[in-house]
This record gives sequence, C-alpha cells and structure tokens, in this order.
Amino acid sequence: MRRLLAYYLILAVIVVILAYLFPDALRRISAKGLGEVSEGPTVLTDALTGGGASNSPFGPGSLADISVTTILILLGALALMLPVTWVYMSARSIPGHNQNVVQTLIILPLVVAGIVFLVQNSLALAFSLAGVVGAVRFRTTLRDTRDLVYIFLSIVIGFAAGVQSLAVGALISIVFNVVLLVTWRYDYGRNVLTPTAASQWAGPLHSLASDTGDHEIPDRDLVLSLTPEKAEALADRFHRVRDVLGTKKKKPRYNSVLTITTDNVSDAQRQVEEVLGRMTKRWALDEVVTNTGKPCEIYYLTKVKKSIPRDVLLTAIHENANGIIESANLETAEMFAEHEGTKG
Amino acid sequence: MSSASPWLLLAFLLPGLAGCRNTPQAKAAEARTVARTRAQEFARRTAYADAHPDTSVALAQWLMPPELNELSGLALTSRGSVLTHDDNVGRVYEIDVKTGILLKSFSLLGNPKGDFEAITVAGEDVYLMESDGKLFKFREGADGKQVPYSTYDTGLAKQCEFEGLTYEPDSSRLLMVCKRFVDKNAAHALLIFRIPLPLGNLSGITTLRVPIEEVVGKNHWKNIRPSDINIEPMTGNYVIVASREKALLVVTPDGDVVRSEELPGEHRQPEGVAVTKDSLLLVSDEANVKPAVITVYRWHPS
Repeated sequence: MRRLLAYYLILAVIVVILAYLFPDALRRISAKGLGEVSEGPTVLTDALTGGGASNSPFGPGSLADISVTTILILLGALALMLPVTWVYMSARSIPGHNQNVVQTLIILPLVVAGIVFLVQNSLALAFSLAGVVGAVRFRTTLRDTRDLVYIFLSIVIGFAAGVQSLAVGALISIVFNVVLLVTWRYDYGRNVLTPTAASQWAGPLHSLASDTGDHEIPDRDLVLSLTPEKAEALADRFHRVRDVLGTKKKKPRYNSVLTITTDNVSDAQRQVEEVLGRMTKRWALDEVVTNTGKPCEIYYLTKVKKSIPRDVLLTAIHENANGIIESANLETAEMFAEHEGTKG
Repeated sequence: MSSASPWLLLAFLLPGLAGCRNTPQAKAAEARTVARTRAQEFARRTAYADAHPDTSVALAQWLMPPELNELSGLALTSRGSVLTHDDNVGRVYEIDVKTGILLKSFSLLGNPKGDFEAITVAGEDVYLMESDGKLFKFREGADGKQVPYSTYDTGLAKQCEFEGLTYEPDSSRLLMVCKRFVDKNAAHALLIFRIPLPLGNLSGITTLRVPIEEVVGKNHWKNIRPSDINIEPMTGNYVIVASREKALLVVTPDGDVVRSEELPGEHRQPEGVAVTKDSLLLVSDEANVKPAVITVYRWHPS
C-alpha cells in the first residue's frame, strides 16, 4: 500500500511539472475527450492553398501532433497500469498469479488505446475494425474470475488513453486499486459462517495437544497459539512425515521418526547417529530445529530392525549420549496409524 | 534497454512537447499576423470571382479542427463572423470566414451532450436546436468560458426530425425546417415551422408548406431532406441546403421557389448554409472520409 501511494504521489508530481511546463501537451491527453475548451484564436488551414482537403490529415492533427500525442497516451496508459499489475500480483485470494495475465494487463491497454485513437470519430473505421477483430477468436479460461475484472480495467484504461482522457483513467486506476486492496485486506464478502483458517486448525491441534501418551506435544499453549500460516507450515511437515511413514502399496523406506531434544546438537548428533548405525537398517537426518530459550530438536527418519524393540533403541540412545540429550522419542508407523484411527 | 535509452526517448519527446507550449497570447499574435495576409488574399480572390462570375469557384475552404469533425449549422453574427457548433456537444465556435481564424469557442454550462443540429442568432440571444426540436437559449460567452442556458421544447418532435434553424428578423420568428416526417405516409413537401419569439406561445406556431414538385423543379431528386436554413440578408428569402441531394434552394417567405439547383463545387455532406451581407455563400461540410470544412463562394442572387 505504501509503495502504491508513493508511486501515485510521484506520478502526480510529474503530472504537475508537465502541466506547468507543457500545458497544451497535458491537455491533449488528460481530458480532451471530455470536451475541454482550448483558449485563444486558432489559425485554420486553407485547403485551397494547403494542398486541398484530400491531402489533409483527417484526425487529431499534424504528423508531429499525432506522434507526440500517441507516445504520450501510450506512456500514460503504461504508467496507470503498472500499479494495477502490482495489486494483481499481491492481492489475490488464490495463491500465485498468472504471469501471462500480468503481461496482458500491461500490453492490452496499449493496444486498446491505439485502436481507439485510430477509430475515434470515424464510423467507417469502427466498422472496419469490427470486421477485422471478428476474424480473430479469443478463447481463454481465466483461473480466477477476478482476473477478468483486471482485464476489463486494462481495456477501460486503454479506452481512456485512446480518447485522450487519461484523467479519468488515472482516477479509475486509483479507486480500483484502493478498493481492491481494502476488500482483500479485510477479506470482504467472506461468509461469516465459514470457519477461518485459524479455527479450522484449532480442533486438530487441540486433539493433538491433549493426546495422552508418548507423542504428546510438549508445549500445548504454543501449538494452540500458532497463526494460520505457521499451522499450515506445521501441517506440511505432518504430511511429509505421513508420506514417509504412510501405508502405501510400495514398501516405505523408513518406518519411524526419532525425535531428540538437546542443548548440544553436534555432540548429540554424533552420539545418536553412532547408535542408529548399529541398531537400525537405515536412517536419515530429517531436520534440525534450533530454538531460543529451550532445547533444540533433531528429527531422524529411521527403519528400525524388527529384532530391536522401541524401548531398547531408546535406552541405547540415552546410554550412549551420556546425558547430552534431554529426551528421545520414537514414533513408529503403527503408532501413527493408531493415532489417525482414534481421530477418525 | 541500455541506460542511454530513456534519455534518447526524452530527447525525442521534448521537442514535440515544446511545440505544445502555445499560450493564448502567442496564438493571438500568430492569428493577427495571418489574418492580415489572408484578408488581402481573400480580397484578391473575391475580385477575381467577381470578374469571372462562376459560382463553382470557391474563394476559400477552411479545414476544421478535429473537435469540429461533426460540424453542423452556421449562424451569422452582427460582426460578420459565423457561429458554428459540434453535433454532439453543446459547444459553439466563432470563425472569421474571410481569414480562416477560429476566433473563440465557448460551451454551454456542463457541456451537455445532445444531437445538436442547428444554430442561429436572434438579437443578443443564441439558439441551438436538437433534432427533436428542443431549443437551447443562451447568450454568447467569452473564449473558453461556459454559459448558462435555458431549454424550450417546441413539441414538434411528434411531427418532424429537424436539422435546420434560423431567425427571421423581419417577423421576429424562428424558422425550423423539417428534414424528415415522423409520419412516413405524409405527403412529401418542404415544411417550415415558424415559431414566434419570445418562446412560450405554442399556439402561435405557423407553417409554410411547399409542394415537393415545386421544390424539386427540373432536378432529378425524389425528395428533399433539408439540413439547414438561413436568411438571405438582401431579400429576406430562405436559403436552404439539403445534404443527401446536395441541393441549394431559395424560397421566398410566401413559398415561391426562386432557385432549386445543385450546390456549387464538391460537397460530401453539407450540413450548414449561410449567406452574408457582403454576398458570400458559406457551406459547411461534416467530416466524411475527408475533414470537416467551411467553403466560401461568391453569392450571386438571381
């Protein structure tokens, strides 16, 4: 929002400077289509001495006039569409954005402005254009229906530029961006009966936290205070572990997760990995989570030998670590499946 | 794009932009200089036309600016200039037809949109007419200003579609010429409504109907769809132009057809006509493939 405001402010300053230095130039692109009246007498061309009416340009003026006006309206359209693309890329209900749409938002108003600039006041050209465009078929499916609104906006700004009324285009661009950002920020239009992401996660996390047994999460309040984004990240991790431990047709490479808490990560790793090397079929370091003010966590994916019970493995780890680790826990695939079953 | 490119673009734009810095004072100075030269040239052409009385020779043809592409009616002012207007917006332009200088332009308050078809000057008042016969009354404004206006519905839209309006000073009436009859079964005729001033007396409206056969005369027109009417100052006759037929008609206030002929020169879409006190015939053409123009001829009343 700050970036947007800064951009519009800079744009306004540039427009004010241009209005001071080149009042006619600005007038010809800002509100010409709205019927602005120029002051001062104008010398008309005499067709009898100036090459005749047939040789005179039928449109917005001389070649220099047309060139300058065209460049100004195209730059104006571009300047007004840039912030719209920023809003498009930022304020979206669906994650990610379509790069093609972004580029279209930039290019389309330039094309529309060019078309309208050519066609204005000429019914014959308008019909010709309709005929030409009618031969081209545009069929595309947009992922988000709001993308269509952006496309419409780019057409409107293109029209505004084409009829040399960029003042209208500027106001439309500003109001559109502000309204869109506000509706996005406050999630306007959400069904109040639909649970929020936080409330959706509260249930599963609560049951997880209140579970009795080996896999109880130590800091229940911390879990329940997770933001939706953090809860999402946690869920991703759960899913990842479940994918590893899950009962797929293909035999899983690992069948358990070993969780170690310690203040001395490097020593603990060395000691624990020595035991894992002796007592498991295979193992892999999954993740090391460093915490401030409380012990760090080390996660291993392991394939435990059937001949070695869980308690034996944990006891061996504790003995080998010799007080370096604070706790060790082993979650097996069976325990995970059992937990899922009780939830279901 | 290299770092030099924006500067190149700026270097290209600035000269063009600098040319746009035309202040009203600078434009006025240029207009004065051009007007002197053109007045001499116009006098020379007029003298030549008088020596060679061929009405098809134009004395001048002024190309209108883009905002007057839909140029419509013409009205003479007491200063010798003409007022004209755009078809779509309530905006009036004053043009000196001898020098080709657009002297000023002003608009009705709020730039009302409409289908404006004709304009006339009645004393200090100016009237713009829409195609449905609705009249906009206002006073002339200064350059670039907006003027207040009042509207008056003649109620004639049920009978006709209008394109021509003028003021008849002898009778202090507005004349509105019917372009197309609403009733398609109505007999073809040249129909002129006379509306007494001041406005407000609907019962005072009278008509002048001239049979179509008399209007067409020896020409090959099937019908006449007048696009403007004006008064010939010397005789008080009605000068009428018809866009589709490219016709020029002169009718007396009693309904006698004095002239019925094709317009001189080449006209794509004549929408306005006027005859000045110093015998100039002005014909305005709306833009139609070519730009809008006002063409000036020597007027030889016959």
